[in-house]
Amino acid sequence: MSEEKITMPVSGDEQAVASEARRSFLRKSVAVAGGAVMAGTVAGRAAAEPLAIPPTNKMLGRGVVSVPYGMPSKFEAHVVRRNVEWLTPDTIASISFTPLQDLEGIITPAGLHFERYHGGAVDIDPATHRLVVHGLVDKPMIFTVDDLKRMPQTSGVWFMECPANGAMEWRGVQMDSLQFTHGMISCSEWVGVSLLDLMKAVGVKKDATWFYGEGADGSGLQRSIPLPGAKDQFGKPIPDADKIYKDIIIAYAQNGEALRPENGYPIRIVVPGTEANLSVKHLRRIKFTNKPLVTYQETRHYTDGMPDGRFRQYTLINETNSVVTFPCPDKKLSGKGAYEIRGLAWSGRGKVKAVDVSVDGGKTWKEAKLVDPVLSKCLTRFIFPWEWDGKETLVMSRAMDETGYVQPTLRQLREVRGTNSIYHKNSIQTWKITANGEVKNVQIENL
Amino acid sequence: MFKSKTSKSALVAALFAASSVAFAGQFDGVGKSIDPKDVASWDISVHFDGDGLPAGKGSVADGEKIYQAQCAMCHGEFGEGARGYPKMLGDKLEDLKKHAKADEDTVSARGINNLWGHAPTLYDYIHRAMPFFAPQSLSVDQAYATTCYVLYLAEVITDDKMVCDAEALKKIKMPAVDNYYTDPRPDVKNTRCMNNCTKDAPVVKGKAVIGDISVGNVKKVGEGSH
Ligand code: HEC
Repeated sequence: MSEEKITMPVSGDEQAVASEARRSFLRKSVAVAGGAVMAGTVAGRAAAEPLAIPPTNKMLGRGVVSVPYGMPSKFEAHVVRRNVEWLTPDTIASISFTPLQDLEGIITPAGLHFERYHGGAVDIDPATHRLVVHGLVDKPMIFTVDDLKRMPQTSGVWFMECPANGAMEWRGVQMDSLQFTHGMISCSEWVGVSLLDLMKAVGVKKDATWFYGEGADGSGLQRSIPLPGAKDQFGKPIPDADKIYKDIIIAYAQNGEALRPENGYPIRIVVPGTEANLSVKHLRRIKFTNKPLVTYQETRHYTDGMPDGRFRQYTLINETNSVVTFPCPDKKLSGKGAYEIRGLAWSGRGKVKAVDVSVDGGKTWKEAKLVDPVLSKCLTRFIFPWEWDGKETLVMSRAMDETGYVQPTLRQLREVRGTNSIYHKNSIQTWKITANGEVKNVQIENL
Repeated sequence: MFKSKTSKSALVAALFAASSVAFAGQFDGVGKSIDPKDVASWDISVHFDGDGLPAGKGSVADGEKIYQAQCAMCHGEFGEGARGYPKMLGDKLEDLKKHAKADEDTVSARGINNLWGHAPTLYDYIHRAMPFFAPQSLSVDQAYATTCYVLYLAEVITDDKMVCDAEALKKIKMPAVDNYYTDPRPDVKNTRCMNNCTKDAPVVKGKAVIGDISVGNVKKVGEGSH
C-alpha cells in the first residue's frame, strides 16, 4: 500500500502560531487591565474580557498514533503518585499514594493506583509465567496465563486499600494533604477467574479451611486467606471467614487492560473489601491448607497494636470509611460563595448506605447525595451543596454502610485501640477551612 | 470436567451453588495436572508449627559470618538496625507492653524478640526474602545458620554453640508467641446522630506532631517503619 503524503509548511506555520500567541497575550493583558477598571465601577463584579481566538484554533494538531498509547495532557503533570521519603528506608519496600485530590468519579486510572511493595515491582513475561494450585486438592494443577483467560470470566468494581491508610494520624495530625492521609486507596474494575471456579477445577478437599497465595517477586510475598471454618494458630475462628472468599478472583485485567506491573502483572489475587496485602501480586502459587502460615505478613506486619501491648491479628476487612475530597488541604477555596462538598465513601462489608456531612464541627449533620453507581466494596461518590460564608469552618463526612455500621470518630477508635494500631484507621476526617480559604488537616479531640 | 473424589463438604457444596457459571465439561483440559514432587522447588513455605521446614542445619557461628557480610549493613552489627532498616533486637516484650499501656509510641521498640510468634516462619522469611538485595540466594543450610544467629542477636536463644535445624526451631518458644489474638470486629460503635450531637465546643488539634507534610512540601523529619 502506498501512503499518500500531505506536505505542510510546518515550521513556518509554527512560527506564525507563536507570534499570534504573543500578540494575543499582549491583547489579553490589556483586556485584563481594562476589566479591573470595570470591576471597580460596575457592581463589583468582574466583566468577561473580549475573547481572543485561541492559537489552537489556528493550527493543526497531532496525527493519529503520534502517541500510540495516550497519556494525560501535559497540563495534568501534577497529577502523580507521591511518596513520603522518611516513611521507609528505601523505595523498594515502600508505599506511594494516589492523588485523590485530583481524581473524579470512582475509577482510579491504573497509572495512579497507589503502590505498596515489599520487594519492588518486577516485569514478568506472561508467556513463561505459571500458576500452580495444589495442597488439599484432588488434582494439583498448573495453569498458563492463557489457560486462566480461557476459563469462565468474572469481574467487579472494587476498591483496593492498604490497611495502613491513615496510619500516620493515630497519634495526631501529621499530613496536611489528602493524598497522604487517605491516598493508599484506589478503585478499579478487575477482571479474571473466580476462585470458586478454580477450586472446582482442582477439586478442593473438604478439610481445606485456608489457602495462601504466593508472589513471584523478590519478597516472595505470601499471605493466608481464610475459607469457611478457618481457625487461627490457637484454634479460634477467623471472623467473617464465611464471607470473604466468595468474591475472590484471580485477576489479569484492570480497567480494561492488562494489570500494570505495579499492580501485579500478569496475575494477582483480588480479595474484595479486605486489606490489600491479601491480594497477592505476581501470583505464582496457591496452596489449600487446613491452617494458616502465620507468616511475616500476618504477625510482623498487618497486625494491630492494641493498648495493652498485645496484637490483634486477622483483622482482614476494611471497615466503613469516608473522606471529603473537595475542599481538602491540596485544594483550597477561591473565595466565599456556592460550592459542592464532594467526597468518597467505601465499606469492605458491602454497599455504602448513606453519607452525612457536617460543616459545624459535628454538632449537626445533613445527608449528602450518593452519586450512581453505588456498588458493593467499591468507592462511592457523595455530593453536598454548600454555601461558604467566608468564615472558619470545620468540614467532615461520616459514612454508614448497609450493615448499619456508622464510621466512628477518632476518639471512639482510640478508646478501644489506643494509638499504636498503625492499621485500620477509618475514623471521621476533619478539614478546617480558614478565613483565607486554606484547608488544614485537624483532629477534634472531643468528638 | 474433573470429578471430586472426596465426599462433598459444606464448603464444596457451597462452592458449586455459589459459582456464577456452570463449570461443566467444556473447560476440561484447560490447565495441566502436575505431580506434587514437581512443585517442590516452589513449595518452600513454612507454617508457624514448623510444617514445611526442610532437612538441613546451620550454627550460630556460621550464621554470624553470613550475617556480618550480608545483613549487618542494613540491620546493624548487633541487630540494632541501620539506616532506617528494621531492628533484629527490639525492646523486651514486657517493655513494649509498658510503652503501649502508657500510650507511648511502640513502633521503634519492635523487633524479632517481641513481634515474631514462631521461629519457623523466621526461617521461612529469611530463606525467601533476605538478604534484601539478593532474595532466595541463601542455601537451606545458610538460611538455618542465619536464622540461628538472628535469634541469638535478638536474645531469643543464649547458647552461642546452638545448631538450628527443623526440630530445634520447632522447640524454640518465641517470647511473643501468645501475644497475638483473634477478635471479631466491629469493636467500635458510633450512632447516626443528626442534630445536637455535641454538647461542648470542638477541641481542635491541628499542629502537626512530627511534620507539616503536604504535597510539594515533603520534609525529612524522622523515620518510622510500617
Ligand atoms: C539492603 C538492606 C537489607 C539487607 C542487606 C538485609 N535486609 Fe533484611 N530487611 C530489609 C528490609 C527493607 C526489610 C523489610 C521488608 C519489608 O518491608 O517487607 C527487612 C526485613 C528483615 C527481617 C524482618 C524484620 C522485622 O522487622 O521483623 C529480617 C528477620 C531480616 N530482614 C533479616 C535479614 C537477614 C538475615 C539478612 C542477611 C542475610 C538481611 N535481612 C539483609 C533490608 C535488608
